Amino acid sequence: MRRIVAQTRKEIIQILRDRLTLTLAIILPAFLLFIMGTAISLTVNHMPIVVQDFDGSSASTKFVDAFRASVTFSVVPWPINEDPQRALASNEARAALIIPPHFGRNIASGASAPVQMLVDGSDANTAQLATGYASEVVRAYNAQLGGVSTQPVQAAIRLWFNPGRDSKKFYGPGFFVLALTLFPTLLAALATSKEGEEKTILQVYASSIPASQYLLGKIFAIMVIAFCEWIVMMALLVTYFGLRFAGDPTPFIVGSLLYAFCVAAFGTMVGAAIPSQVAAMQAVAAGGFLLVFILSGLLFPVENIPVGLRWLSNFVWGRYYIEIVRDAFLQGGGWPATWWKVFAISGFGATFYGIAWRNMRAMQLKD
Amino acid sequence: MSGGRLRALMLKEFRQMIRDRRYMIALVVAPVLELLVFGFVLSATVTHLPLGVVDQSATPQSRELIADLTESRSFRLAGYYDSTGALGDAIQRGALDAGLVIPYEYARDLASHKPVAVQVILNATNANTAAIAQGYAEGVLQAYDAQRASVALPRGVALAPDYLYNPGLVGSWFIVSGILGLLLILVGTLFSSQMIVKERAAGTIEQLLMSPASATEIIVAKVTPLFGALFAMGLIAVAMMRWIFGLPFNGSLLLFLAGAALCMFSGIGLGMFVATIVRSARQAQLFVFFLNPPLATLSGAFTPVEAMPRWLQPVTVLNPINHFAVIARGTLVKGSGIDVLWPNFLALLTFTVVLLSLSVWRYRAQL
Repeated sequence: MRRIVAQTRKEIIQILRDRLTLTLAIILPAFLLFIMGTAISLTVNHMPIVVQDFDGSSASTKFVDAFRASVTFSVVPWPINEDPQRALASNEARAALIIPPHFGRNIASGASAPVQMLVDGSDANTAQLATGYASEVVRAYNAQLGGVSTQPVQAAIRLWFNPGRDSKKFYGPGFFVLALTLFPTLLAALATSKEGEEKTILQVYASSIPASQYLLGKIFAIMVIAFCEWIVMMALLVTYFGLRFAGDPTPFIVGSLLYAFCVAAFGTMVGAAIPSQVAAMQAVAAGGFLLVFILSGLLFPVENIPVGLRWLSNFVWGRYYIEIVRDAFLQGGGWPATWWKVFAISGFGATFYGIAWRNMRAMQLKD
Repeated sequence: MSGGRLRALMLKEFRQMIRDRRYMIALVVAPVLELLVFGFVLSATVTHLPLGVVDQSATPQSRELIADLTESRSFRLAGYYDSTGALGDAIQRGALDAGLVIPYEYARDLASHKPVAVQVILNATNANTAAIAQGYAEGVLQAYDAQRASVALPRGVALAPDYLYNPGLVGSWFIVSGILGLLLILVGTLFSSQMIVKERAAGTIEQLLMSPASATEIIVAKVTPLFGALFAMGLIAVAMMRWIFGLPFNGSLLLFLAGAALCMFSGIGLGMFVATIVRSARQAQLFVFFLNPPLATLSGAFTPVEAMPRWLQPVTVLNPINHFAVIARGTLVKGSGIDVLWPNFLALLTFTVVLLSLSVWRYRAQL
């Protein structure tokens, strides 16, 4: 035990001394969380739309005003004699609303008044949102006309867990996990591969410390750094992202502790296997970052991955932690919803530690 | 600048590059595979959301509504629940993403032409999925009403959406056309910075600088083979986009390739500039770690720029990935010409000229 503590102390002192690495360790995760959480969102607000009103009656003006008043659209002026498709081609608008002549007359006579909407389909998701939002505006307009009687069955839609449909609340926990995956792993890999690169590992081999204690010492040091990152980012989640615990926070706290061990063990494993800092960094970028980025449900739901590739996401440790964090802050399902995910994370951690230990246990130079 | 000397230098760089098989794999094969995986895996499409049903009415009418909702592509029937409490628990556990509650009086109220509300519960953790699912649910109910009412046409405005450029709303078109620029910049930056740093680490940079070749010649000779390899990667990517992802290629392919070339030069220039600032390969890679996440996040490569907060959107003007994404989507999907895309070309040209001249200028000052 004393040897583990000594190894941990030595690692922490070494990290504290290296300014560049220290900034990387504490500032960058928070910065990444802030910038990604702010910038990444799929839901377009203030979607630019052009309106061509060939009717010009009071009814059509009122209809256009309904679009003007909505938060999701922002009406861009467009000359009436110009092709609205050009506005889409030149990226000035995402959609065009075309109101034909006789619109007002049709409305007044109680007939159906067709309105065309051209949508830029090059971004399929935004296009779907645009039509969805436009239908909402149209429905509200029709209800105002007094046409409700034609709709006997209505949907009373309840949005649970995130009623404001705030993207930040969904992506904040995800990028929190991404940062906690990338940076402790990177630090652990750098600290371990450095010993191989600079041959200080020989001194370790010559000393009386066994592989298990050497590795645990490294892992605990990285866990301390990860805890600092965790504190800084939690503060950001609570203040800037406005997240609060939705239910029992204990699975999240236990999961965080195990996850810190898991990523530190993964980085140590990579660093011990690759005695070159540059190559180790590349391995972390590919293994830690890319895998979590695309296969963990960080940006898009895991269910959207084609079945042939979806099974791969079961082997991505970040996925389980993302689900735990989202549950803690949004759904509040507690232990019944997350116990096996906490279990999975400890399984990954034990495996990484086991592999690192197997590779090192002889404490001999490999020939 | 002398032709013979330049040719000799280029030959040296070219041979150095193709001799390293691992290098060529990382430079050409890996990005192509990444594009393929990103295109398949990153998808925002909302399909087959598991829907739980509480059918208190249990009549043919209520079953008809359930069938209508679950036969659509967006929802799939995941099971029946006895009470709203059980349904709520299942949503909280994450077993369901949506719930439908049909009240006792459903069939009776329908028969007596009274308006009746069914409750639709959506897990809004993911704001985008919730917004699209909400649109679907309302659309299905409206169609159900229209079908039941069997009146000729409902009163009021009827919105007819029309998707331009991508009528099938294929989500991968947006992703692959954006990710290509991201990969070109990331790979270009990484390899050009490594190239310069390696020369310095090996000490051969002094020999190069002592030779009669000018800094411009050395840089041009270094850039050309790397550009050639990136261009080969770009051509493979184009073939993949055409035949695997089925992009329509509505615009000029030549214009697209010109934009891709400028994008590659911007990436190479950025990497070279980084390399002339840092001291070691380790620092170069750490620097790239600092640079990549904001570059990728603020690019509009996989999320729309319009979805970012207003104050952040102008920053994307400084991002070459964003300009190339506009060019790629314009030429490959929308069929835009140079009359629309010239500002983006101008921006990429400026990045290329500024970054490459800075590198040439800094190159001599390295020693």
